[in-house]
Amino acid sequence: MAEELVIQGSALGKQFGENVIAVEDANFTIPRGSFISLVGPSGCGKSTLLRLISGLIEKSGGDLLVRNAEVVGPRSDIGMMFQKAVLLDWRTSIENVLLPDEIRGTIDTDAKKRAWDHLQLVGLKDFEFSFPRQLSGGMQQRVALARLLQTGADIMLLDEPFGALDEFTRERLNDELLRIVEGPDITTIFVTHNIQEAIYLADQVFVMTPRPGRIAAQIEIDLPTPRNIDMTTTPEFNNYVQQVRDVLAGHLDGQPL
Amino acid sequence: MSNDQEASVSNIELAADYKGTLGGAVLRHTIIFFVIMFIWEMANRTGFSNPLLLPRPTDIVASIWKIYVTQGNVWYHLWVTFKEAMVGCFIGCVIGIGLAVAAVLSDTFRQFLKPYIIIVEATPRIALGPIFVTWFGFGMSSKVALAALVCFFAPFVNTITGLLGVEEESYELFRSLGATRRQVFWKLMIPTALPTMNAGLKLAVGSAFGGALVAEFISAQAGMGILMARYTMSLNMPSAFAGLLSITLYGFILFRIMEIIDKRVLYWLSDDLMAKKSVKKETKIRGELGL
Ligand SMILES: Nc1ncnc2c1ncn2[C@@H]1O[C@H](COP(=O)(O)OP(=O)(O)OP(=O)(O)O)[C@@H](O)[C@H]1O
Ligand SMILES: [Mg+2]
Repeated sequence: MAEELVIQGSALGKQFGENVIAVEDANFTIPRGSFISLVGPSGCGKSTLLRLISGLIEKSGGDLLVRNAEVVGPRSDIGMMFQKAVLLDWRTSIENVLLPDEIRGTIDTDAKKRAWDHLQLVGLKDFEFSFPRQLSGGMQQRVALARLLQTGADIMLLDEPFGALDEFTRERLNDELLRIVEGPDITTIFVTHNIQEAIYLADQVFVMTPRPGRIAAQIEIDLPTPRNIDMTTTPEFNNYVQQVRDVLAGHLDGQPL
Repeated sequence: MSNDQEASVSNIELAADYKGTLGGAVLRHTIIFFVIMFIWEMANRTGFSNPLLLPRPTDIVASIWKIYVTQGNVWYHLWVTFKEAMVGCFIGCVIGIGLAVAAVLSDTFRQFLKPYIIIVEATPRIALGPIFVTWFGFGMSSKVALAALVCFFAPFVNTITGLLGVEEESYELFRSLGATRRQVFWKLMIPTALPTMNAGLKLAVGSAFGGALVAEFISAQAGMGILMARYTMSLNMPSAFAGLLSITLYGFILFRIMEIIDKRVLYWLSDDLMAKKSVKKETKIRGELGL
Protein backbone atom coordinates (compact mmCIF):
# COMPACT_ATOMS: atom_id res chain seq x y z
CA MET A 1 0.00 0.00 0.00
CA ALA A 2 1.34 3.38 -0.94
CA GLU A 3 2.12 5.78 1.84
CA GLU A 4 -0.43 8.48 2.35
CA LEU A 5 1.22 11.87 2.14
CA VAL A 6 -0.30 14.40 4.52
CA ILE A 7 1.98 17.34 3.81
CA GLN A 8 3.67 18.25 0.55
CA GLY A 9 5.75 21.31 -0.15
CA SER A 10 7.29 22.13 -3.49
CA ALA A 11 9.45 25.15 -4.23
CA LEU A 12 7.86 26.61 -1.11
CA GLY A 13 9.14 30.07 -0.19
CA LYS A 14 8.55 32.80 2.33
CA GLN A 15 10.01 36.25 2.18
CA PHE A 16 9.60 38.96 4.80
CA GLY A 17 9.78 42.48 3.42
CA GLU A 18 12.32 43.29 0.72
CA ASN A 19 15.29 41.14 1.60
CA VAL A 20 14.67 38.63 4.39
CA ILE A 21 14.24 35.26 2.72
CA ALA A 22 13.17 33.09 5.64
CA VAL A 23 12.40 29.97 3.61
CA GLU A 24 13.49 29.29 0.03
CA ASP A 25 12.74 26.47 -2.38
CA ALA A 26 11.62 23.95 0.21
CA ASN A 27 10.70 20.58 -1.30
CA PHE A 28 9.46 17.84 0.95
CA THR A 29 6.81 15.22 1.47
CA ILE A 30 5.67 14.01 4.85
CA PRO A 31 3.92 10.66 5.12
CA ARG A 32 1.07 10.10 7.53
CA GLY A 33 2.11 8.92 10.97
CA SER A 34 5.75 9.93 10.65
CA PHE A 35 7.82 11.93 13.07
CA ILE A 36 9.93 14.63 11.43
CA SER A 37 12.60 16.57 13.27
CA LEU A 38 13.49 19.97 11.91
CA VAL A 39 16.96 20.94 13.02
CA GLY A 40 19.12 23.93 12.22
CA PRO A 41 20.81 26.95 13.70
CA SER A 42 18.90 29.92 15.04
CA GLY A 43 17.28 32.09 12.41
CA CYS A 44 17.34 29.50 9.62
CA GLY A 45 13.58 29.58 9.19
CA LYS A 46 12.34 26.60 11.22
CA SER A 47 9.55 28.50 12.94
CA THR A 48 8.64 30.17 9.67
CA LEU A 49 8.27 26.80 7.94
CA LEU A 50 6.07 25.58 10.79
CA ARG A 51 3.93 28.71 10.68
CA LEU A 52 3.50 28.25 6.92
CA ILE A 53 2.26 24.71 7.39
CA SER A 54 -0.04 25.74 10.23
CA GLY A 55 -1.61 28.41 8.04
CA LEU A 56 -0.69 31.20 10.44
CA ILE A 57 1.26 33.00 7.73
CA GLU A 58 0.97 33.04 3.96
CA LYS A 59 3.61 31.66 1.68
CA SER A 60 5.17 33.96 -0.89
CA GLY A 61 5.82 31.29 -3.50
CA GLY A 62 5.59 27.62 -4.44
CA ASP A 63 3.04 25.07 -3.34
CA LEU A 64 2.01 23.76 0.03
CA LEU A 65 -0.58 21.04 0.32
CA VAL A 66 -2.04 19.52 3.45
CA ARG A 67 -4.18 16.46 2.67
CA ASN A 68 -4.00 17.51 -0.97
CA ALA A 69 -5.55 20.91 -0.30
CA GLU A 70 -3.79 24.23 -0.57
CA VAL A 71 -3.17 25.74 2.87
CA VAL A 72 -5.24 28.91 3.21
CA GLY A 73 -5.46 29.36 6.98
CA PRO A 74 -5.52 27.53 10.31
CA ARG A 75 -7.20 24.14 10.13
CA SER A 76 -8.68 21.99 12.82
CA ASP A 77 -6.56 18.95 11.98
CA ILE A 78 -3.37 20.89 12.73
CA GLY A 79 -2.36 21.73 16.29
CA MET A 80 0.60 23.69 17.56
CA MET A 81 2.76 23.85 20.62
CA PHE A 82 5.38 26.49 21.37
CA GLN A 83 8.48 26.92 23.46
CA LYS A 84 6.33 28.82 25.93
CA ALA A 85 3.37 26.93 27.31
CA VAL A 86 1.07 29.89 26.53
CA LEU A 87 -1.42 29.01 29.24
CA LEU A 88 -4.12 31.36 30.43
CA ASP A 89 -3.11 32.25 33.99
CA TRP A 90 -6.68 32.71 35.16
CA ARG A 91 -7.71 29.19 34.25
CA THR A 92 -7.04 25.88 35.93
CA SER A 93 -5.24 23.13 34.01
CA ILE A 94 -8.44 21.46 32.92
CA GLU A 95 -9.98 24.77 31.83
CA ASN A 96 -6.86 25.48 29.79
CA VAL A 97 -7.13 22.09 28.16
CA LEU A 98 -10.78 22.82 27.37
CA LEU A 99 -9.92 26.05 25.52
CA PRO A 100 -10.10 24.44 22.05
CA ASP A 101 -13.60 23.14 22.78
CA GLU A 102 -14.66 26.44 24.19
CA ILE A 103 -13.50 28.27 21.09
CA ARG A 104 -15.23 25.81 18.80
CA GLY A 105 -18.38 25.77 20.91
CA THR A 106 -18.12 22.03 21.51
CA ILE A 107 -17.80 22.11 25.27
CA ASP A 108 -19.92 19.53 27.07
CA THR A 109 -19.54 16.77 29.63
CA ASP A 110 -17.96 14.55 27.03
CA ALA A 111 -15.33 17.17 26.22
CA LYS A 112 -14.60 17.56 29.91
CA LYS A 113 -14.14 13.82 30.25
CA ARG A 114 -11.66 13.83 27.41
CA ALA A 115 -9.81 16.79 28.94
CA TRP A 116 -9.61 14.87 32.18
CA ASP A 117 -8.24 11.82 30.40
CA HIS A 118 -5.68 13.88 28.50
CA LEU A 119 -4.41 15.35 31.74
CA GLN A 120 -3.98 11.84 33.14
CA LEU A 121 -2.22 10.81 29.95
CA VAL A 122 0.38 13.57 30.22
CA GLY A 123 0.98 12.72 33.86
CA LEU A 124 -0.90 15.52 35.56
CA LYS A 125 -3.08 13.47 37.86
CA ASP A 126 -3.89 15.58 40.94
CA PHE A 127 -3.01 18.81 39.12
CA GLU A 128 -6.22 19.08 37.11
CA PHE A 129 -7.37 22.08 39.12
CA SER A 130 -4.08 23.85 39.67
CA PHE A 131 -3.47 27.24 38.15
CA PRO A 132 -0.47 27.74 35.81
CA ARG A 133 1.34 29.82 38.41
CA GLN A 134 1.21 26.86 40.75
CA LEU A 135 2.90 24.56 38.24
CA SER A 136 6.56 24.09 37.30
CA GLY A 137 7.72 24.86 33.77
CA GLY A 138 7.67 21.17 32.87
CA MET A 139 4.15 20.72 34.17
CA GLN A 140 3.00 23.79 32.27
CA GLN A 141 4.29 22.22 29.06
CA ARG A 142 2.40 19.06 29.97
CA VAL A 143 -0.80 21.11 30.18
CA ALA A 144 0.02 22.61 26.78
CA LEU A 145 0.52 19.10 25.41
CA ALA A 146 -2.82 17.98 26.85
CA ARG A 147 -4.45 21.01 25.24
CA LEU A 148 -2.87 20.06 21.92
CA LEU A 149 -4.25 16.51 22.26
CA GLN A 150 -7.65 17.96 23.12
CA THR A 151 -7.81 19.73 19.74
CA GLY A 152 -8.04 16.31 18.17
CA ALA A 153 -5.52 17.42 15.57
CA ASP A 154 -3.58 14.57 14.00
CA ILE A 155 -0.88 16.83 12.62
CA MET A 156 1.19 18.24 15.45
CA LEU A 157 3.61 21.07 14.93
CA LEU A 158 5.93 21.47 17.90
CA ASP A 159 8.26 24.46 17.96
CA GLU A 160 11.02 23.66 20.47
CA PRO A 161 8.33 22.57 22.90
CA PHE A 162 10.70 21.62 25.69
CA GLY A 163 13.52 23.99 24.76
CA ALA A 164 13.19 26.10 27.88
CA LEU A 165 13.29 23.15 30.27
CA ASP A 166 16.23 21.52 32.01
CA GLU A 167 17.80 18.48 30.38
CA PHE A 168 16.31 15.84 32.70
CA THR A 169 12.79 17.12 32.27
CA ARG A 170 13.30 17.51 28.55
CA GLU A 171 14.44 13.91 28.10
CA ARG A 172 11.50 12.60 30.09
CA LEU A 173 9.00 14.69 28.20
CA ASN A 174 10.54 13.67 24.89
CA ASP A 175 10.00 10.02 25.78
CA GLU A 176 6.45 10.66 26.87
CA LEU A 177 5.79 12.58 23.69
CA LEU A 178 7.06 9.66 21.61
CA ARG A 179 4.77 7.30 23.48
CA ILE A 180 1.78 9.57 22.86
CA VAL A 181 2.29 10.22 19.15
CA GLU A 182 3.46 6.74 18.17
CA GLY A 183 1.26 4.75 15.86
CA PRO A 184 0.11 5.35 12.31
CA ASP A 185 -2.26 8.25 12.91
CA ILE A 186 -0.39 11.21 14.30
CA THR A 187 2.04 13.09 12.11
CA THR A 188 4.54 15.19 14.02
CA ILE A 189 6.97 17.93 13.07
CA PHE A 190 9.34 18.74 15.89
CA VAL A 191 11.65 21.75 15.78
CA THR A 192 14.85 21.69 17.77
CA HIS A 193 18.38 23.10 17.95
CA ASN A 194 19.67 19.88 19.35
CA ILE A 195 21.06 17.39 16.86
CA GLN A 196 20.97 14.38 19.22
CA GLU A 197 17.42 15.12 20.23
CA ALA A 198 16.39 15.51 16.59
CA ILE A 199 17.80 12.11 15.66
CA TYR A 200 16.60 10.35 18.76
CA LEU A 201 12.99 11.30 18.19
CA ALA A 202 12.57 11.17 14.45
CA ASP A 203 11.86 8.89 11.54
CA GLN A 204 13.32 11.57 9.35
CA VAL A 205 15.48 14.61 10.09
CA PHE A 206 15.20 17.74 7.96
CA VAL A 207 18.37 19.78 8.25
CA MET A 208 17.88 23.47 7.60
CA THR A 209 20.58 26.01 6.80
CA PRO A 210 20.29 29.76 7.02
CA ARG A 211 20.50 32.74 4.68
CA PRO A 212 18.43 31.88 2.79
CA GLY A 213 16.56 29.26 4.83
CA ARG A 214 16.74 25.99 2.93
CA ILE A 215 16.15 22.36 3.70
CA ALA A 216 19.69 21.22 2.94
CA ALA A 217 19.17 17.53 3.63
CA GLN A 218 16.49 15.02 4.55
CA ILE A 219 17.95 12.09 6.44
CA GLU A 220 16.03 8.88 7.09
CA ILE A 221 16.75 7.63 10.60
CA ASP A 222 16.82 3.87 10.46
CA LEU A 223 17.00 3.09 14.15
CA PRO A 224 14.69 0.57 15.81
CA THR A 225 11.55 1.77 17.56
CA PRO A 226 10.62 2.29 20.31
CA ARG A 227 13.72 4.35 20.94
CA ASN A 228 15.57 4.24 24.19
CA ILE A 229 18.33 6.34 25.60
CA ASP A 230 20.99 3.59 25.22
CA MET A 231 20.79 3.93 21.44
CA THR A 232 22.31 7.38 21.64
CA THR A 233 25.74 5.84 22.27
CA THR A 234 25.71 3.37 19.38
CA PRO A 235 27.93 3.88 16.31
CA GLU A 236 24.85 4.11 14.05
CA PHE A 237 23.52 6.96 16.12
CA ASN A 238 26.83 8.79 16.06
CA ASN A 239 26.95 8.24 12.35
CA TYR A 240 23.72 10.16 11.97
CA VAL A 241 25.00 12.92 14.23
CA GLN A 242 28.06 13.20 12.03
CA GLN A 243 25.94 13.32 8.89
CA VAL A 244 23.88 16.20 10.24
CA ARG A 245 27.01 18.02 11.38
CA ASP A 246 28.57 17.61 7.94
CA VAL A 247 25.52 19.10 6.24
CA LEU A 248 25.52 22.07 8.59
CA ALA A 249 29.29 22.55 8.40
CA GLY A 250 29.27 22.44 4.61
CA HIS A 251 26.79 25.27 4.53
CA LEU A 252 28.12 27.31 7.37
CA ASP A 253 31.76 27.40 6.18
CA GLY A 254 32.77 30.92 5.41
CA GLN A 255 29.38 32.31 6.42
CA PRO A 256 29.30 35.18 8.89
CA LEU A 257 27.85 34.04 12.20
CA MET B 1 -9.26 21.83 60.79
CA SER B 2 -6.56 22.67 58.32
CA ASN B 3 -8.18 26.06 57.89
CA ASP B 4 -7.64 26.82 61.55
CA GLN B 5 -4.02 25.91 61.18
CA GLU B 6 -3.60 28.19 58.21
CA ALA B 7 -5.24 31.01 60.08
CA SER B 8 -2.91 30.71 63.02
CA VAL B 9 0.13 30.47 60.76
CA SER B 10 -0.81 33.66 58.97
CA ASN B 11 -1.33 35.38 62.31
CA ILE B 12 2.18 34.47 63.32
CA GLU B 13 3.48 35.83 60.03
CA LEU B 14 1.59 39.05 60.52
CA ALA B 15 2.95 39.46 64.04
CA ALA B 16 6.45 38.72 62.80
CA ASP B 17 6.32 41.84 60.65
CA TYR B 18 6.06 43.91 63.80
CA LYS B 19 9.01 42.34 65.64
CA GLY B 20 7.40 41.08 68.80
CA THR B 21 3.77 40.50 69.57
CA LEU B 22 0.89 42.24 67.85
CA GLY B 23 -0.30 43.70 71.15
CA GLY B 24 3.14 45.19 71.77
CA ALA B 25 3.16 46.82 68.35
CA VAL B 26 -0.27 48.36 68.85
CA LEU B 27 0.79 49.65 72.24
CA ARG B 28 3.96 51.19 70.80
CA HIS B 29 2.12 52.97 68.00
CA THR B 30 -0.53 54.22 70.42
CA ILE B 31 2.09 55.65 72.77
CA ILE B 32 3.98 57.37 69.95
CA PHE B 33 0.75 58.82 68.58
CA PHE B 34 -0.32 60.22 71.94
CA VAL B 35 3.12 61.65 72.62
CA ILE B 36 3.02 63.55 69.34
CA MET B 37 -0.52 64.76 70.05
CA PHE B 38 0.56 65.84 73.54
CA ILE B 39 3.52 67.83 72.23
CA TRP B 40 1.29 69.45 69.62
CA GLU B 41 -1.32 70.30 72.26
CA MET B 42 1.31 71.72 74.62
CA ALA B 43 3.02 73.76 71.89
CA ASN B 44 -0.38 75.33 71.37
CA ARG B 45 -1.29 75.91 74.98
CA THR B 46 2.10 77.46 75.83
CA GLY B 47 1.74 79.88 72.91
CA PHE B 48 4.61 78.30 71.00
CA SER B 49 2.39 77.91 67.92
CA ASN B 50 -0.61 80.00 66.92
CA PRO B 51 -3.84 78.17 67.80
CA LEU B 52 -5.68 80.29 65.29
CA LEU B 53 -3.78 78.72 62.40
CA LEU B 54 -2.85 75.31 63.80
CA PRO B 55 -5.70 74.15 66.02
CA ARG B 56 -5.21 71.94 69.04
CA PRO B 57 -5.87 68.22 68.72
CA THR B 58 -8.52 68.50 71.43
CA ASP B 59 -10.27 71.25 69.47
CA ILE B 60 -10.16 69.14 66.32
CA VAL B 61 -11.72 66.23 68.18
CA ALA B 62 -14.41 68.55 69.51
CA SER B 63 -15.07 69.79 65.97
CA ILE B 64 -15.33 66.28 64.64
CA TRP B 65 -17.97 65.62 67.28
CA LYS B 66 -19.69 68.82 66.33
CA ILE B 67 -19.84 68.40 62.57
CA TYR B 68 -20.76 64.72 62.77
CA VAL B 69 -23.07 64.66 65.77
CA THR B 70 -24.34 67.87 67.30
CA GLN B 71 -24.58 69.85 64.06
CA GLY B 72 -24.44 66.80 61.81
CA ASN B 73 -23.99 69.03 58.78
CA VAL B 74 -20.98 67.18 57.32
CA TRP B 75 -22.94 64.15 56.14
CA TYR B 76 -24.77 66.06 53.46
CA HIS B 77 -21.59 67.63 52.09
CA LEU B 78 -19.74 64.33 52.15
CA TRP B 79 -22.54 62.75 50.19
CA VAL B 80 -22.49 65.54 47.58
CA THR B 81 -18.74 65.26 47.04
CA PHE B 82 -18.84 61.48 47.06
CA LYS B 83 -21.55 61.48 44.40
CA GLU B 84 -19.70 63.96 42.19
CA ALA B 85 -16.44 62.07 42.53
CA MET B 86 -17.92 58.66 41.81
CA VAL B 87 -20.10 59.71 38.87
CA GLY B 88 -17.15 61.62 37.43
CA CYS B 89 -14.83 58.71 38.02
CA PHE B 90 -17.23 56.32 36.34
CA ILE B 91 -17.56 58.55 33.28
CA GLY B 92 -13.80 59.13 33.10
CA CYS B 93 -13.03 55.44 33.36
CA VAL B 94 -15.61 54.44 30.75
CA ILE B 95 -14.26 57.01 28.30
CA GLY B 96 -10.65 56.13 29.12
CA ILE B 97 -11.13 52.41 28.68
CA GLY B 98 -13.33 52.90 25.61
CA LEU B 99 -10.79 55.06 23.83
CA ALA B 100 -7.98 52.70 24.83
CA VAL B 101 -9.77 49.67 23.42
CA ALA B 102 -10.51 51.52 20.19
CA ALA B 103 -6.89 52.66 19.97
CA VAL B 104 -5.58 49.13 20.43
CA LEU B 105 -8.00 47.53 18.00
CA SER B 106 -7.43 50.11 15.27
CA ASP B 107 -3.96 51.32 14.32
CA THR B 108 -5.46 54.17 12.33
CA PHE B 109 -7.40 55.40 15.32
CA ARG B 110 -4.30 55.10 17.51
CA GLN B 111 -2.29 57.26 15.13
CA PHE B 112 -5.12 59.77 15.01
CA LEU B 113 -5.43 59.90 18.79
CA LYS B 114 -1.74 60.18 19.62
CA PRO B 115 -1.13 63.95 19.32
CA TYR B 116 -4.26 64.77 21.31
CA ILE B 117 -3.25 62.44 24.08
CA ILE B 118 0.17 64.08 24.24
CA ILE B 119 -1.51 67.47 24.63
CA VAL B 120 -3.83 66.20 27.35
CA GLU B 121 -0.90 64.60 29.12
CA ALA B 122 1.09 67.84 29.06
CA THR B 123 -1.79 69.90 30.47
CA PRO B 124 -2.28 69.85 34.25
CA ARG B 125 -5.88 68.61 34.25
CA ILE B 126 -6.78 70.64 37.35
CA ALA B 127 -6.10 73.81 35.35
CA LEU B 128 -9.31 73.21 33.44
CA GLY B 129 -11.32 73.70 36.63
CA PRO B 130 -12.32 77.35 36.06
CA ILE B 131 -13.14 76.65 32.42
CA PHE B 132 -15.33 73.69 33.35
CA VAL B 133 -17.17 75.74 35.95
CA THR B 134 -17.87 78.33 33.27
CA TRP B 135 -19.00 75.69 30.82
CA PHE B 136 -21.00 73.41 33.07
CA GLY B 137 -22.22 75.82 35.73
CA PHE B 138 -21.97 76.02 39.50
CA GLY B 139 -23.89 72.81 40.16
CA MET B 140 -22.90 69.20 40.10
CA SER B 141 -21.99 68.88 36.40
CA SER B 142 -18.81 70.95 36.52
CA LYS B 143 -17.53 68.84 39.45
CA VAL B 144 -18.41 65.64 37.70
CA ALA B 145 -16.69 66.89 34.57
CA LEU B 146 -13.45 67.78 36.35
CA ALA B 147 -13.46 64.51 38.30
CA ALA B 148 -13.98 62.66 35.00
CA LEU B 149 -11.12 64.51 33.35
CA VAL B 150 -8.80 63.87 36.28
CA CYS B 151 -9.76 60.17 36.28
CA PHE B 152 -9.59 59.58 32.56
CA PHE B 153 -5.87 59.25 32.05
CA ALA B 154 -4.75 56.36 34.27
CA PRO B 155 -7.36 53.86 33.01
CA PHE B 156 -6.66 54.98 29.45
CA VAL B 157 -2.90 54.49 29.60
CA ASN B 158 -3.12 51.32 31.65
CA THR B 159 -5.71 49.73 29.40
CA ILE B 160 -3.53 50.40 26.35
CA THR B 161 -0.46 49.05 28.12
CA GLY B 162 -2.32 45.99 29.33
CA LEU B 163 -3.88 45.16 25.98
CA LEU B 164 -0.64 45.64 24.10
CA GLY B 165 1.03 43.28 26.59
CA VAL B 166 -0.62 40.20 25.07
CA GLU B 167 2.15 38.00 23.72
CA GLU B 168 2.41 37.09 20.06
CA GLU B 169 2.38 33.36 20.90
CA SER B 170 -0.97 33.75 22.65
CA TYR B 171 -2.47 35.32 19.53
CA GLU B 172 -1.00 32.52 17.43
CA LEU B 173 -2.47 29.91 19.75
CA PHE B 174 -5.91 31.46 19.49
CA ARG B 175 -5.66 31.85 15.75
CA SER B 176 -4.47 28.29 15.29
CA LEU B 177 -7.55 27.18 17.25
CA GLY B 178 -9.71 29.16 14.83
CA ALA B 179 -10.84 31.79 17.34
CA THR B 180 -12.93 34.74 16.18
CA ARG B 181 -11.85 38.32 16.85
CA ARG B 182 -14.49 38.57 19.52
CA GLN B 183 -13.21 35.45 21.26
CA VAL B 184 -9.65 36.72 21.12
CA PHE B 185 -10.79 39.98 22.68
CA TRP B 186 -12.87 38.57 25.53
CA LYS B 187 -11.05 35.36 26.31
CA LEU B 188 -7.48 36.56 25.81
CA MET B 189 -6.96 40.31 25.60
CA ILE B 190 -9.23 41.52 28.39
CA PRO B 191 -8.20 38.98 31.05
CA THR B 192 -4.52 39.49 30.18
CA ALA B 193 -4.91 43.26 30.54
CA LEU B 194 -7.07 43.10 33.66
CA PRO B 195 -4.33 43.45 36.32
CA THR B 196 -2.92 46.55 34.62
CA MET B 197 -6.40 47.92 33.95
CA ASN B 198 -7.37 47.48 37.58
CA ALA B 199 -4.26 49.32 38.73
CA GLY B 200 -5.40 52.20 36.51
CA LEU B 201 -8.88 52.12 38.01
CA LYS B 202 -7.44 52.26 41.51
CA LEU B 203 -5.45 55.35 40.60
CA ALA B 204 -8.55 56.88 39.06
CA VAL B 205 -10.70 56.34 42.15
CA GLY B 206 -7.92 57.87 44.24
CA SER B 207 -7.78 61.03 42.16
CA ALA B 208 -11.55 61.44 41.71
CA PHE B 209 -12.02 63.11 45.12
CA GLY B 210 -9.30 65.62 44.31
CA GLY B 211 -10.96 66.57 41.05
CA ALA B 212 -14.37 67.11 42.64
CA LEU B 213 -12.85 69.07 45.55
CA VAL B 214 -10.91 71.44 43.31
CA ALA B 215 -14.04 72.21 41.28
CA GLU B 216 -15.88 72.85 44.53
CA PHE B 217 -13.15 75.20 45.74
CA ILE B 218 -13.72 77.26 42.63
CA SER B 219 -17.44 77.57 43.12
CA ALA B 220 -20.14 75.40 44.60
CA GLN B 221 -23.24 75.42 46.75
CA ALA B 222 -22.48 72.19 48.56
CA GLY B 223 -19.73 69.65 49.09
CA MET B 224 -16.66 69.13 51.21
CA GLY B 225 -14.66 71.58 49.15
CA ILE B 226 -16.98 74.49 49.76
CA LEU B 227 -17.50 73.45 53.38
CA MET B 228 -13.77 73.54 54.06
CA ALA B 229 -13.40 76.78 52.14
CA ARG B 230 -16.08 78.33 54.35
CA TYR B 231 -14.45 77.07 57.53
CA THR B 232 -11.01 78.43 56.62
CA MET B 233 -12.48 81.70 55.41
CA SER B 234 -14.06 82.24 58.82
CA LEU B 235 -10.84 80.96 60.45
CA ASN B 236 -12.69 78.04 62.00
CA MET B 237 -9.55 75.93 61.65
CA PRO B 238 -10.55 73.05 63.93
CA SER B 239 -13.54 72.34 61.70
CA ALA B 240 -11.44 72.71 58.55
CA PHE B 241 -9.05 70.11 59.94
CA ALA B 242 -11.95 67.88 60.89
CA GLY B 243 -13.15 68.11 57.29
CA LEU B 244 -9.68 67.33 55.96
CA LEU B 245 -9.42 64.27 58.20
CA SER B 246 -12.80 63.10 56.94
CA ILE B 247 -11.66 63.28 53.35
CA THR B 248 -8.48 61.40 54.18
CA LEU B 249 -10.47 58.73 55.97
CA TYR B 250 -12.96 58.26 53.14
CA GLY B 251 -10.17 58.22 50.59
CA PHE B 252 -8.51 55.51 52.61
CA ILE B 253 -11.69 53.45 52.98
CA LEU B 254 -12.38 53.73 49.27
CA PHE B 255 -8.84 52.64 48.45
CA ARG B 256 -9.16 49.62 50.74
CA ILE B 257 -12.46 48.67 49.10
CA MET B 258 -10.83 48.94 45.69
CA GLU B 259 -7.98 46.74 46.88
CA ILE B 260 -10.37 44.09 48.11
CA ILE B 261 -12.32 44.12 44.84
CA ASP B 262 -9.03 44.07 42.95
CA LYS B 263 -7.83 41.01 44.80
CA ARG B 264 -11.12 39.16 44.29
CA VAL B 265 -11.25 39.90 40.58
CA LEU B 266 -7.60 39.00 40.06
CA TYR B 267 -7.84 35.79 42.05
CA TRP B 268 -5.08 34.16 40.00
CA LEU B 269 -2.51 36.53 41.47
CA SER B 270 -3.28 35.59 45.05
CA ASP B 271 -2.19 32.24 46.46
CA ASP B 272 -5.01 31.78 48.95
CA LEU B 273 -7.76 32.80 46.52
CA MET B 274 -6.32 30.43 43.89
CA ALA B 275 -6.48 27.61 46.41
CA LYS B 276 -10.12 28.40 47.21
CA LYS B 277 -11.04 28.68 43.54
CA SER B 278 -9.35 25.33 42.82
CA VAL B 279 -11.43 23.59 45.45
CA LYS B 280 -14.64 25.13 44.15
CA LYS B 281 -13.96 24.16 40.55
CA GLU B 282 -12.82 20.71 41.55
CA THR B 283 -16.11 20.04 43.36
CA LYS B 284 -18.10 21.31 40.40
CA ILE B 285 -16.30 19.47 37.63
CA ARG B 286 -15.83 16.24 39.59
CA GLY B 287 -19.55 16.31 40.28
CA GLU B 288 -20.32 16.82 36.60
CA LEU B 289 -18.00 14.00 35.55
CA GLY B 290 -19.16 11.70 38.33
CA LEU B 291 -15.62 11.15 39.62
N1 LIG C 1 7.35 38.28 11.11
C1 LIG C 1 8.59 38.45 10.62
N2 LIG C 1 8.94 39.59 10.01
C2 LIG C 1 10.18 39.76 9.50
N3 LIG C 1 11.15 38.84 9.57
C3 LIG C 1 10.88 37.67 10.17
C4 LIG C 1 9.59 37.42 10.73
N4 LIG C 1 9.60 36.18 11.28
C5 LIG C 1 10.83 35.69 11.06
N5 LIG C 1 11.61 36.58 10.39
C6 LIG C 1 12.98 36.36 9.96
O1 LIG C 1 13.04 35.15 9.26
C7 LIG C 1 14.20 34.43 9.59
C8 LIG C 1 13.83 33.06 10.08
O2 LIG C 1 13.17 33.19 11.33
P1 LIG C 1 12.61 31.94 12.12
O3 LIG C 1 11.94 32.48 13.33
O4 LIG C 1 11.81 31.10 11.22
O5 LIG C 1 13.94 31.19 12.54
P2 LIG C 1 14.12 29.92 13.47
O6 LIG C 1 14.86 28.93 12.70
O7 LIG C 1 12.82 29.51 14.05
O8 LIG C 1 15.05 30.50 14.61
P3 LIG C 1 15.11 30.09 16.15
O9 LIG C 1 15.80 28.79 16.22
O10 LIG C 1 15.93 31.18 16.77
O11 LIG C 1 13.72 30.04 16.66
C9 LIG C 1 14.96 35.27 10.59
O12 LIG C 1 15.95 35.99 9.92
C10 LIG C 1 13.92 36.19 11.14
O13 LIG C 1 14.49 37.41 11.53
MG1 LIG D 1 12.00 29.51 16.05
